[in-house]
Amino acid sequence: MGALTIVLQVLLVITSFLLIMTILMHKGKGGGLSDMFGGGLSASIGSSGVAERNLNRITVGTAIVWIVVIVLLGLVQRVSL
Amino acid sequence: MLGAFVRAFRTPDLRRKLLFSLAIMAIFRAGSFIPTPGVDYGNVQQCVDPIGTGATQDVLSLVNLFSGGSLLQLSVFALGIMPYITASIIVQLLRVVIPRFEALHKEGQSGTAVLTQYTRYLTIGLAILQATTIVTVARTGQLFPDCAVATEVIPNQSIPTLLLMIMTMTAGTGLIMWLGELITERGVGNGMSLLIFTAIAASFPGGVQQIATSNNGIGKVILFLAISALVIVLVVFVEQSQRRIPVQYAKRMVGRRTYGGSSTYIPIKINMSGVIPVIFASSLLALPALAAQFSEDQTTGWVQWIAVNLLDPGATVYLAAYGILIIFFAYFYTSITFNPDEVADNMKRYGGFIPGIRAGRPTAEYLQFVISRITAAGALYLAFVAMIPSIAFKFMEVNQVMAFGGASVLIVVSVGLETVKQIDSQLQQRHYEGFLR
Repeated sequence: MGALTIVLQVLLVITSFLLIMTILMHKGKGGGLSDMFGGGLSASIGSSGVAERNLNRITVGTAIVWIVVIVLLGLVQRVSL
Repeated sequence: MLGAFVRAFRTPDLRRKLLFSLAIMAIFRAGSFIPTPGVDYGNVQQCVDPIGTGATQDVLSLVNLFSGGSLLQLSVFALGIMPYITASIIVQLLRVVIPRFEALHKEGQSGTAVLTQYTRYLTIGLAILQATTIVTVARTGQLFPDCAVATEVIPNQSIPTLLLMIMTMTAGTGLIMWLGELITERGVGNGMSLLIFTAIAASFPGGVQQIATSNNGIGKVILFLAISALVIVLVVFVEQSQRRIPVQYAKRMVGRRTYGGSSTYIPIKINMSGVIPVIFASSLLALPALAAQFSEDQTTGWVQWIAVNLLDPGATVYLAAYGILIIFFAYFYTSITFNPDEVADNMKRYGGFIPGIRAGRPTAEYLQFVISRITAAGALYLAFVAMIPSIAFKFMEVNQVMAFGGASVLIVVSVGLETVKQIDSQLQQRHYEGFLR
C-alpha cells in the first residue's frame, strides 16, 4: 500500500461521487421503458441550454478522470504484485 | 439496401448521428474490459474461461448476457444497464399502485420527465444494492463455484476496498445510464435498448464458437444456425404485423380553416409489450435459484428441488412456469401501456370515431375487446419464441447457449428493427428511399 495507491483511491472515491451527482443532475432523456423496445415514435427535440452544456463538459471531464484513475490503480496493483 | 446505407452516410446530419452512436457503443464495450480496482484480473480470467467455453449454466448467465459478459469479469460496467431496466419496470408497475405516479403520467411531457427522474434515482439505488450483492458473492467465492482460485478473486478483503468496489460499480452504472441518454438525445434510436443490443450482440461470436467446439458435429451446427435464422424471420414478421382499426375524423371549422375530415387508423401491434414480458419472466424465475445459492445447506429438500426443476432451462417445470409468466406479463404490460378509456376519450375530444361504433364508452369497450384478443395471439407468440430454443436444444441434445436463447434473439431483432425504422424516417425527411420497403 504505497502513498500513490492511497491518493488514487481517495481520488476514485471523490470522482465516483462527483460522477453520480453530475449524472443525476442531468435532465433525463431516457423516456423510460415505454419507447424502449418498439414503442412510439417520440421525437425528442431538446436543445440543451448553456447550463446543460457546461454540465455536459463537467460530466465528461469527471468521467475521463474516473477512468484514468481506475486504469492507474489497476497498473499500480499489477506492478506491486 | 446498400445504396440506402451509402445515402445515410452521405447525409451530413445523419452521418454525425450514426458515428456518434457507434462511438458511444465502442466506449461502452471498452469499459466492459476495465477491471474494478481490488479485483485480481488474472484470477478472474482463469475463472471466467471455463464458464465461457464449457457447459456450466447458472442463474447468472442471463444477467451476464445482458451486461455483455462484463458481470463475470467484474469490470467497472459489471452491472450493465440491468439496474436501469429494473428501475423502469418498477416505476411503470408502481403507476398501478401509487396514484401520484398515475397522475404524473397523465400530465404529459412534464410529468413524464419527473417520472424519468424518479427512475434515475431508483437506478442508482438499485445499482448500490446489486453492486453490494455481487461484491459479496464474489468475495465468498460463490460467483465461480467450480473455480479453484475463486476466493482469491478479491485478494484484499478489507471493508474500505469492498466499499470502493461498490462505489466504482455504482458510478459505472450511472455512466452507462448517461451514455444511453446521450445516444437517445444526439444519436440514432433509443440509447438504452441500443446498449443492450450491443451487449448481447457482443456475445454472439463466443456463442457460435461454443456450439461449434462443444457439440462436435457440423450437421448440428448447421441445423442450429438454420433454426436461429427461422426464428429471426418469424420474429421480424410478427413484430411488423399490426391490426389497423380505422378511425374517421369529422370535419371541423376553426375560424376560416377546416381541420380533420381525414380517415386514419390506430395501429395495434400483435405484440404490443415487446420483449419486456420475457425479460421480466426470466428475472423473476431467477429469484428462487438465487435464494437457493445463498442457502447454507445445499442438500436440503427445497434446494434440491429448485436445482432440479428451476435451474435447468430444459426442465418441464421451468418451461411451464416460464410460459405462464410470459403470458401473464404480456397481458399485464399491455394493460398498463395501452389504456382504451384514454384513447377513446382522446378520440372523442378531437371528433374522431370508429365507423359503426359510437364514441365514448362503446368505443373503449370495442378497443378493449380487440386488444384482449390480439394480445392472446401476441402472448402465445412471445412464449413460443422464448421457448423454441430451449425445446429445440433439448431434442437435439445440445448444450443450451444463452446467446441464442429466445429472449436475446427477440431483443436483438426488435431493437435492430426499431433503429432501422428511425434511420429510415430520418432519410425520408430528405426524400430518400429508405431501407425498408
